[in-house]
Amino acid sequence: MAITESDLKPEPSAVDEPALRTAGLSVRFGGITALDEVAVEIRPGEIVGLLGPNGAGKTTLFNAISGFIKPDAGRVLLDGNEIQDLFPYERVAAGLGRTFQHVKLFRGLTVEENLLAAQHRHLRSGAVAAMLRLPSWRRDEDEARERVEQMLQMVDLRPWRNRYPWELSYGTVRFLELAAVLSLRPKVLLLDEPATGIQQKEVEALGPLLKRVRDEVGCAIFLIEHDMGLLMGVSERVYALDFGKLIAEGTPQEVTADPRVLESYLGRTRRVLHSEEADGA
Amino acid sequence: MTAVTAAETAIAEPDAGVRARGVSLGRLRISRSRAIAGAVLLGLGFIPVVVPHHDFWMYIGAYIAVWAMLELSIVVVTGFAGMISLMPFTFVGIGCFASGVAVSVWGWPFWLAVPFAAAATVPVSIAVGAASVRLKGLYLAIATLTFGNALGETLFKWNAFTGGQQGHTIVRPKLGVLSFRGDFSFYVLAMLVALLLVWMVHGLKASRVGRAMLSVRDNEREAQALGINAIKTKLTALVIGGAIAGVGGAFYLALLRTAAPAGFQSPYVEISSVLLVVWAVIGGIDSAFGAFLGATALIVQQQVYQGVGERLGAWLGLYAAAILVVFLITRPGGLVQVVKIQRERIHSDRIRGGIETFVILAINVVIVYLILHFGK
Repeated sequence: MAITESDLKPEPSAVDEPALRTAGLSVRFGGITALDEVAVEIRPGEIVGLLGPNGAGKTTLFNAISGFIKPDAGRVLLDGNEIQDLFPYERVAAGLGRTFQHVKLFRGLTVEENLLAAQHRHLRSGAVAAMLRLPSWRRDEDEARERVEQMLQMVDLRPWRNRYPWELSYGTVRFLELAAVLSLRPKVLLLDEPATGIQQKEVEALGPLLKRVRDEVGCAIFLIEHDMGLLMGVSERVYALDFGKLIAEGTPQEVTADPRVLESYLGRTRRVLHSEEADGA
Repeated sequence: MTAVTAAETAIAEPDAGVRARGVSLGRLRISRSRAIAGAVLLGLGFIPVVVPHHDFWMYIGAYIAVWAMLELSIVVVTGFAGMISLMPFTFVGIGCFASGVAVSVWGWPFWLAVPFAAAATVPVSIAVGAASVRLKGLYLAIATLTFGNALGETLFKWNAFTGGQQGHTIVRPKLGVLSFRGDFSFYVLAMLVALLLVWMVHGLKASRVGRAMLSVRDNEREAQALGINAIKTKLTALVIGGAIAGVGGAFYLALLRTAAPAGFQSPYVEISSVLLVVWAVIGGIDSAFGAFLGATALIVQQQVYQGVGERLGAWLGLYAAAILVVFLITRPGGLVQVVKIQRERIHSDRIRGGIETFVILAINVVIVYLILHFGK
């Protein structure tokens, strides 16, 4: 069964409006500035990478965009609408989807039930309808199961439908999480290190899958990734972050050749080496 | 392609091999020996249907029905939504005295007092919900334990609500020509209501709201990332669980005919609340059917201890405690797991599991017999 475009595509965005934009986004933890006036722009349907050494503030940026951290200053705009004051679940309703660096999903639910749980925002029936098995509950269940069938097909998880996430390989759980977040039909998808902890073969499958997702679902993708092969292969544009500040922006080739980016990755290593030499002397 | 198809077939039809020797209950397929083990346990609550007007079994059956209602409230709050509330018996008390005031003071019919009892729990559910926004796990458990204690000293000492030290006394209900005043007819009524609630809670689990509860229980952060309002979901669970406990409280009062507030004050309220949670876990904390099994096991073992006398009861209690530890290690899913086939278990394991159940049952019967015989 093919996924029809009307089933998955989000509402068309306003013309010329970036799908996602942050302006002056700052987050401080005590005295430490984790994000310093970060401004990024993701256009509809674009795949954008986010680079930076450990501790640069990449996940903090994702948390601030998706509402898991309250920024100290700045704005987050989705399709031109300010969303920085909304709860995480309200940002999902506005069209934002995200994955986490460490995937766990719902360990007490099977693969199928995990995806059914992800249908939440498309369904309407309440607790009373379910307890009395009213027709609105039945309609919701039928609709949810049909959508889950499509998602299982899309990520090739049908053989595992009755398995629990902890019975599956880490890579399979990553694909399950991707299916769950795609069920939200997001306009913008934030992926936090989707290739971490999965086998090389699966990493290679991830690139084409992300492009397919972008084409079929029609969402913009903003991803943090340490696997340079994957990042360079899928990203149309890349931002580089260091010490909470944006230090470069451009095509993957431009950014990876940028001296400030090289310094952020290598400079620190060099300083560490120097200090070790000093200790040894 | 063939490998995938084979795997799919194996998973889609996991019970193809045992179906011939098993029992089919809708989507749930049970091996024959497990079905018998389950039926024996489940059947204890229904003996009065076969042997009506036998005082002892009627008493047990009605108690099982009412305690099953109380256990169901824990299934929703703790089993589904993952909040460890140690004040369920306080909710029972609110239902109990709300219906008591309605019937004995205001002269309402019992049938109106039941929904009133359910509604009376809502303010307390909302208060616990407000606490659960900040408190989780052990901290919520302690907070609710303290809250239950505090309500015992305030709400349950308010004479207009409790009817004073003696509490309220009510007459069991009538519906037109149908009277539920006798023990047998009241047993039938309570059991029908308990089964209705089991059916309702079972339906809740496989629904949008029920799955939201389960996902908040398993991973609140991920649930929010998938568009689920965690606070609203927890509040819904508390309100539904509280309302069920309230209904249970009304039937608890009708069962006993009279209830005094002392049972809902410290230390009795803490003891009863913990007892409810413990037996919900033993029954199977996230299963409506398990709540019924848990209530059955609780009431039956209490009767056994009382029946055999103090000395033997103590020995049996010690033995039961040891069994319980082993049981919870081997069957973390509770009594309902003894009956239900686990999807991840392979075929041969499943059959052995059924025989295992019988061997364990047989060994236990022998040990209990030995204790009864030589314990004197």
